[in-house]
Amino acid sequence: MLLNRASSGGRWRVRPDGPGKVTGGLAYLTDMTTDQMLYGLVLRSEHPHARILSIHTDKAKKLPGVRAILTYMDIPGLNAFGIAHPDQPVLCEERARYVGDALATVAADTLAAAQQALELIEVDYEVLEVVDDPERALLPGAPQLHPGGNELHRTVFSRGNVDQGFRDCAYIVEETYYTPRQMHTYMETEGGLFVPGEDGRLTVYSPTQHGFMDRMQLSRILAKPQEEIRIVSSPIGGSFGGKDELNVQPYGALLAMQTGRPIKIHNSRWESVRAGLKRHPMKITMKTGIDAAGKLMAHQVSIISDTGPYSTLGAEVLNFATEHVIGPYQYEHLDVKGVSVFTNNGMSGEFRGFGGNQAIFALEGQMDRLAEMAGMDPWVFRKLNMRQSDDLGPFDQPIAMTDGAKQVWEAIAKCPLWMEKQQLARMSHSGDEPWIKTGIGAAFTMHGAGLGVGIPDPAGGRLALAADGKIEAVFGYEEFGQGLLASLEQMLMEQFGFGAKDIRMIIGDTDVVPDSGSTTASRATAMMWKSLQKLKAPFSGQLLQRAAAILNRRVEQLRLAEGGIKGRSEEALLLSYKELAAAAGEPIRCETSFSFPTSSTERVGAHYMYTYSAVVVKVEVNTLTGRARVLQQYHVVAAGPVINPQGYLGQIEGGSSMALGFTLLEESIMEKGHYITRNLDSYLVPTIEDQRGLVEVEAIEQLPEGDDYGPRGIGEVGSVTLAPAIAAAIRQASGKWATKLPVEPSFLQETPFFLGKG
Amino acid sequence: MGMNIQEAMASPLVWHPQTAAEAWQLKQTYGTEGIYTSGGTLLRTQWESGISAIPRHLIDLSTIRGLNDLRIGEAGLVVGGQTSLQSCRSNTLLSRHFPMVSEAIRTIAAPSVRHLATIGGNVASSIGDSIAALLGYDAEVIWFDGTTENRTLLSEWLPEASAAKRGNERLLLSMLLPFEISLEETSVKHDDKDLTMQMKRFGAYHKIGRREAFTPSVVTACMNGVLTHNSVIKQIRIALGGGQTVPVRLEKLEKEINGAAVDGHLLRHVYERIIELFEPREDLFASAAYRKSTAANLIVAELWKAAKGETKPL
Repeated sequence: MLLNRASSGGRWRVRPDGPGKVTGGLAYLTDMTTDQMLYGLVLRSEHPHARILSIHTDKAKKLPGVRAILTYMDIPGLNAFGIAHPDQPVLCEERARYVGDALATVAADTLAAAQQALELIEVDYEVLEVVDDPERALLPGAPQLHPGGNELHRTVFSRGNVDQGFRDCAYIVEETYYTPRQMHTYMETEGGLFVPGEDGRLTVYSPTQHGFMDRMQLSRILAKPQEEIRIVSSPIGGSFGGKDELNVQPYGALLAMQTGRPIKIHNSRWESVRAGLKRHPMKITMKTGIDAAGKLMAHQVSIISDTGPYSTLGAEVLNFATEHVIGPYQYEHLDVKGVSVFTNNGMSGEFRGFGGNQAIFALEGQMDRLAEMAGMDPWVFRKLNMRQSDDLGPFDQPIAMTDGAKQVWEAIAKCPLWMEKQQLARMSHSGDEPWIKTGIGAAFTMHGAGLGVGIPDPAGGRLALAADGKIEAVFGYEEFGQGLLASLEQMLMEQFGFGAKDIRMIIGDTDVVPDSGSTTASRATAMMWKSLQKLKAPFSGQLLQRAAAILNRRVEQLRLAEGGIKGRSEEALLLSYKELAAAAGEPIRCETSFSFPTSSTERVGAHYMYTYSAVVVKVEVNTLTGRARVLQQYHVVAAGPVINPQGYLGQIEGGSSMALGFTLLEESIMEKGHYITRNLDSYLVPTIEDQRGLVEVEAIEQLPEGDDYGPRGIGEVGSVTLAPAIAAAIRQASGKWATKLPVEPSFLQETPFFLGKG
Repeated sequence: MGMNIQEAMASPLVWHPQTAAEAWQLKQTYGTEGIYTSGGTLLRTQWESGISAIPRHLIDLSTIRGLNDLRIGEAGLVVGGQTSLQSCRSNTLLSRHFPMVSEAIRTIAAPSVRHLATIGGNVASSIGDSIAALLGYDAEVIWFDGTTENRTLLSEWLPEASAAKRGNERLLLSMLLPFEISLEETSVKHDDKDLTMQMKRFGAYHKIGRREAFTPSVVTACMNGVLTHNSVIKQIRIALGGGQTVPVRLEKLEKEINGAAVDGHLLRHVYERIIELFEPREDLFASAAYRKSTAANLIVAELWKAAKGETKPL
């Protein structure tokens, strides 16, 4: 089904958080202020790599209006954070490893005083050699950034014998692919309000993708029991993975506890660029061979990932990339190696696609090159080598079986845009502007959802009838623009029969919500769906039983409806939810908790549930300037039932617009560990002018009979296949294979044909 | 977005002179501590990035009377320097007679910026994207030197004004766009057989940035000329700029090709000479070589199109 307003009918709804967002009426957490609040700022390292000889704060402390200046000596608990492995200092003691490293934090009455105080803090550095190249970082003699060396993580996966496999190949493609350090570029930069309570508790109003993880990490830093910390984490003005890890929270929390006053911190864009996470730049080398019939014989991959100074989820991103360079294809022989390397460049970390974007650009590039070499249609070539529905996953692990791969493949094969490819005359010198050349390309993937084997991945939620008669849906997730609230509302209406006005949704507040796990890894909607499935019978049952008792009717005669309880085949309201809530009795409340389904394998990070997706794009290259434009996109996504059509479409369109930036525009340029692109006037994201073309999304909803996993994740798949599809389209248009992203205009520029040669 | 530290730290005095002479006097009084401003959009980016400090005194030129509109003068269309880019863009006189200037302004920044930014600021910066288009129409500038108003060709004023020290001595007031002589008045039509005397105007402005909108330019290129029916160039101006490059007219090349017929040989010559003559400044985002070849490609492609007879008369 093509997803759009017309095909969605009454399911196309205005999202509940929409009006507040488009009118500007909604207050984000970083918009909050309070009486008696102080301003917090962070002093960050001048150098990407330096030994800290001393930090003197005496002069700064004497400045009027300055209330606190904290250094590493003032941290009561663990001076480190990191979701997977806490190795990033909250405040550096001996050494700074990147330009975002924090040395001191200041609270003052005014922002100006705080800024002046930062300037008065005296730091003596001994500048150290900068490790800015992950390959050089692995050479003997390179400065070592951590006690364990410069390797954060290595991955290996192999099967058969690739050397033997290559000997049997008729065609072999060897290529190296490079992907950029992309920035999330959320509209709302990191920040928050940190309020100490009279009872000794601390309330943190600060965006994050997993409130309970922040609470645990802050508890470690503050040496304060988790119960004494409340994290309010939603609504968020965009995150895309970038606010998953702690950012300013440790400083706000430490300053609030130290001064006993509320602290406001809100990064400028400059500071956000300097300190914040980016997508891992990767260099992926692949050697892939096929036999004379086009069957994949051997696939050898080497991934080198620049993880920056500290861990955060760098190892997990590499695991994901390792799985996705194998992808949906079957090989006789496999040999995949990956390494994630510490450098003094910017912090790399979690970002929508999570290593899949880089992996799939390389893998799909290989498929297109091999097909061309063998003289085969690239889509037919993929079919020949694609997994069957009952095949094991990329790591030879059991996975939830669906026909997704085949369904997506077929939908692309018969879509009009793909059929148009055959008709495009390559390099025709006709028309008014013969230097403009057009091509069409496509790419395919299977994208894993959930955190994978070996990583705690809790899920769950709660439904209750509140005293005021509202149906309360309570989840530990965060709304960062993805449409989580709209999806939850729609599920409650469609699955239970409630009206929008009957519902109160409560999310992102650790004092109130159960731990539903992180709002990451394309998992939240699927886990809400599963929770509601588990809660449906008990919660509906309790409501109806209570109503039956009040109304003196049999439960089977009643149903849940908009506004309250109705008779099974009657339209009249028999009892409102308010009346139901007012009736005496035990509170009506149901809770569920479970874990994201995982594969029965030992392989850490291996996934169990996958979304299959592909995209066809039409691209125009102006060879006078070398600039490429995406004219049209056709996405096919097999992810089970569409929960919220508008949200689904928004996720695919939004993901693909980030991917367009990744492919054609975006790169955080660094020189010797310093950012060169330090603001949005030099780091360019796509504007609406860059993505004007038609975007169509076909959703394949069908799941195998008996599959009770429900909707698969769609938060990331829109962003992972576009780059290789654009590269394939550029190949058809201009005859060039792009191997480095973003594609450089100078690479695609040509001298006009009418100048002839010489 | 985020907490704005610069604004919290510094608040300069803002002066509102009523005349050019008052503005000039204020500038002399405060010297390097005072700076002329109009929309302030470019200055803001410089302060924020630390390229320049917020000065103690801002001399607001927008209050000077008579500089914020477009009017027809004796020598052409006078564009007041304090006219916002948005007003310029929506002005029908400008779009009818100087469409490439309107087009150039359309591509500058974004609507919010164009409402504040002025054409005078764009020109005074020496690197604004309207400049190549203005050069394409042989624009002049009217400026104040402390005592009198002066009129200079923009192409001659730019190298002077872009030299840092001189910038302070010259207060840009207005731009003057001479009306082009209409071809109907000059082309002599003896009879239908004498087609060689029929001429047409051709021209184009291109801004190539790093994305499709709201982008700094990498190359700006403008060409404006007259072609006979048999593709002989009767008049031509070529102006190139972009990024941090002060835009220039390629007058040497213009002389070389004036009177020549557009053919493969000439197109190759134009291409090669642009590569030789144009000296763009490079940065990490685009090399000088790319800027040269882009400018050369754009100009020869427009010439090729004009000679093919496919350009609509401007």
